[in-house]
Amino acid sequence: MKKECVAMLLAGGQGSRLYALTSRVAKPAVPFGGKYRIIDFPLSNCINSGIDTVGVLTQYQPLELNAYLGNGQPWDLDRSDGGVHVLPPYVQKGDSGTWYKGTANAIYQNIGFLQLYNPEYVLILSGDHIYKMDYGAMLAYHKEKGAACTISVLEVPMEDASRFGIMNVDEEDNIYEFQEKPKEPKSNLASMGIYIFTWSKLRDYLIADEANPDSSNDFGHDIIPAMLGAGEKMSAYRFKGYWKDVGTIKSLWDANMDMLSEGSGIDPYDPSWPIYARSPTKPPHFTGPDAKISHSMVTGGCEVYGTVENSVLFNSVIVEKGATVRYSILMPGTVVKAGATVDYAIVAENAVIDQGATVGSAPPSGDLGDWGITVVAQDIEVGDGAVVPANAMITRNLEGGAAK
Amino acid sequence: MMNKLHGIIFAYRSNADLRELTQHRNTCSVPYGGRYRIIDFMLSNFVNAGIVDVGIIVHANYQSLLDHLGSGKDWDLSRKHGGLRILPPFGYANKQRGGVCRGRMDALEGVYSYLKNIKQEHVVLAGGDIAVNLPLRDIYKQHIKSGADITAVCTRNPKGDPKSSDYFTIGANGRVTDVSVHPFAPMGCEALEVYILSKSLLLSLVDHCAAHNIPSFSQGVLQANVHSLNIVPYIFDGYAARLQSVPGYFARSMELLKPEVRADLFVPDRPVKTKDQSNPSTYYGDDASSVNSLVADGCIIEGTVRNSILFRGVRVEKGAVVENCILMQSTTIQQGAVLKYTITDKNVHVNPGRMLMGHETYPLAIAKNETV
Repeated sequence: MKKECVAMLLAGGQGSRLYALTSRVAKPAVPFGGKYRIIDFPLSNCINSGIDTVGVLTQYQPLELNAYLGNGQPWDLDRSDGGVHVLPPYVQKGDSGTWYKGTANAIYQNIGFLQLYNPEYVLILSGDHIYKMDYGAMLAYHKEKGAACTISVLEVPMEDASRFGIMNVDEEDNIYEFQEKPKEPKSNLASMGIYIFTWSKLRDYLIADEANPDSSNDFGHDIIPAMLGAGEKMSAYRFKGYWKDVGTIKSLWDANMDMLSEGSGIDPYDPSWPIYARSPTKPPHFTGPDAKISHSMVTGGCEVYGTVENSVLFNSVIVEKGATVRYSILMPGTVVKAGATVDYAIVAENAVIDQGATVGSAPPSGDLGDWGITVVAQDIEVGDGAVVPANAMITRNLEGGAAK
Repeated sequence: MMNKLHGIIFAYRSNADLRELTQHRNTCSVPYGGRYRIIDFMLSNFVNAGIVDVGIIVHANYQSLLDHLGSGKDWDLSRKHGGLRILPPFGYANKQRGGVCRGRMDALEGVYSYLKNIKQEHVVLAGGDIAVNLPLRDIYKQHIKSGADITAVCTRNPKGDPKSSDYFTIGANGRVTDVSVHPFAPMGCEALEVYILSKSLLLSLVDHCAAHNIPSFSQGVLQANVHSLNIVPYIFDGYAARLQSVPGYFARSMELLKPEVRADLFVPDRPVKTKDQSNPSTYYGDDASSVNSLVADGCIIEGTVRNSILFRGVRVEKGAVVENCILMQSTTIQQGAVLKYTITDKNVHVNPGRMLMGHETYPLAIAKNETV
C-alpha cells in the first residue's frame, strides 16, 4: 500500500573506528546506554514520529543485527502493512548485483523496494547517531518549504566545524553550498546525516549517479552536490537538542556518560519519547549488603556487591565484593571479580576481569599524553592480578600477572 | 512432544487477607518479585515447557489481569490458532447452576465446551496464584513414564497456610494414599496445585462432578478417588511462594533477597516472562545508597534503600529512607520521607517528610493510587 514517507536506515557500516567492539557486529548493533543498541534510537524516533515502514540496509556482519530486529515487535514495527524490512545486497538479473558501493548506491539498489510502497518522501537515516528527533516535524518543514531535499543540521561550535560536513545557507535557510570538512568553514551548520528527499526527485538523481562511473555513490560526496549544482531547492532543518555521532571509542564512551547526566539533553526517562529495545528476560537487579552505587545505571540480572561509580552496567553484569568500577561501561554478562578495579574502560559482552586485576586508569591531570579509554573485547578473560594500561585494546586472553 | 500438553490456569482466587493488595485485583495479578504478577510464574512454566495453548479461567475482579495479559504477546502466546485464551464466566441457559463457581470443578464445568475442543492429549491444571519455577517438561515426562492417572506436584517444604492448603500422604508404593484438605496442621507433602491428567479423564471427571453437584477438585476428585485412581506425586522441593495474607506477602517477598531463593525462582533456562514496559535502566544518583535490595528497571534512586524490593519506575528522592519495604510500580517517595515495613501499591505517592512505619508481623499496606 502507498505510504507517505518510508525511512531507509543505513546500517551496513563496519564502524572500523570502534575496532574490537565491531569485530563481530555491525556498528548499529553495538550496545549502548545500559539497555539499548545504537539502532534503537533512529528506530524509536521513527515509530514515535509516526513512520511505520523502515528499510534497514545491512551489509557488514549482519547476523546479530538481523536477529535483533526480528519482526520489529519491540518497536511496534510488526505490521501487516509496512513494518521493518532488512535489506541486504542481493543478486540481480545477469549477476549484476553488487555489494553496496556507497550510501547512495545502497538506496539505488533498493529502488524496487521503495516502489512497493510508492512513497512521496524518503527519509534517509544512519545507524550510528544517538539523538531523539521528531521526523514528523522535519517532514512538515520539508513540505512547507517545497524542497527537493531537506537536510537536518546542528549548530556546532565554530572551532569544531571543520570536522563536519558544513551547510552554507541563505537567510531563509536554503542551502547554496556544501563543504565536506572545510579547513575554513563559512558556517557552523553541521549535517547530521539525516535527509528527507522528495522521492521522485531522489530517484532521478540516484539513476543518474549510478550511470556516472566516476561517482563514489555517496550522498554527501555525490548526490547532494549534484542536486545543488542542478539548482534544486535544498533546505536546512535546524535541529536543537542532543545529537552525538558514536563512531569512535571516545565518543561512544562520552555518549554513554551523557546518559547519566540529567543536563546532557538525552533523557531516557522522558515518557513522551520512549526509546524501545529488545530486552532479554531478566529478573530485577540485586544490590548486595556492601554495595555502593552512585551516579550510575544498572539493569536487569545484575548483581552488585562491590562499588560502582559513574558507570553504565548492561544486563547480567556481576560486580563482586571488593571490586570497583568507575567511569566505565560494562556490556551484558561482564563479570568483575573480587578486588578487581575497572577505570575508564569499555568492557564488551561476557568478558571476565579476574580477581585483583586492574583495567584502565583515570586520566592524568594536565596533559593527557597517550591516555585513553581502555577496551576489553567480547569473551576475553583478564587474568588474576593482570594490569591493563589506559588506552589499551585487549583482544586476547590475558594471563594473570602483568600486561603485554 | 510438549505440544501434546494443554495448559489451564485457575486465575480467580482472591485472598481477603491480602487486604489492600487485592482491592483492585485478584490474587493472581498481585505484583510480586519486583516486576512480575504472580500469574507470570505459572504462565512462564507452561511456556518454558513448550505449551502453546493456554486457557485462563477467570471469575471476578479480573480487569487488572486482562490488562496485564493483553494478547499474550509477551509470553509468545499470541498465535493464529490457540495461544492464550481468557475464559470468563458464562452460564448455560439450560443449566441451573451456570456461572456459579464454588470450586475448581464448577469452574471447569463452566468452560466445558472449551475443554471438549482441546486438541492435546493431556492437560495440566494449575493455580495462577503461586510463584514457583517448575521443570514442567520433566513433570510431564514422569507422568507419561509412570502411567499415572493424575500426577500431583507437591513439596516437602510446606509454605502455605495449612487452613487453605491440601496435603498428600505418600504410600510405600510411591502413590498418593491420602489427601488432607485444609487441615489445621500440615500432614505430609503440601500440594502445589499443579496436576497433569489426560483430556479424556478430565472430561469424564468434569461430567461426573457436574452431574453429582461436586464443586471441589481436592475433595470431589482427589480425596474421593484416592484409591480408584492412580495418583502419583512429583516431589518438587525448590522454592515456592503462596501469597495468602499481607504478612505472608511481606515474608515471601523478603525471602527474595536471599541468593538461594532467587536461584530457585529465576532459573536462566526457564526465564519468567512478564509484560514488557520498555523501561530504561535504573539510575542511582550521586548520594544514592542501595543495599541488600532487589530493584527493577526504570527507577530513579537518589535516597537510601535498604532490605527492600522496588518495582519498575519507582522514585526515591534525596534524603528519603526506605527500609524493609516493598514499593510497587511507579511509587514516588518524596524528599526526606521515611518508610519502614511498608508496602506501597502501584502509583502511591508519599509526600515530603512523611513517616510510615509498620512491623514485620503487621506491615503497613498503602492501597493503589493513594497519596500520603
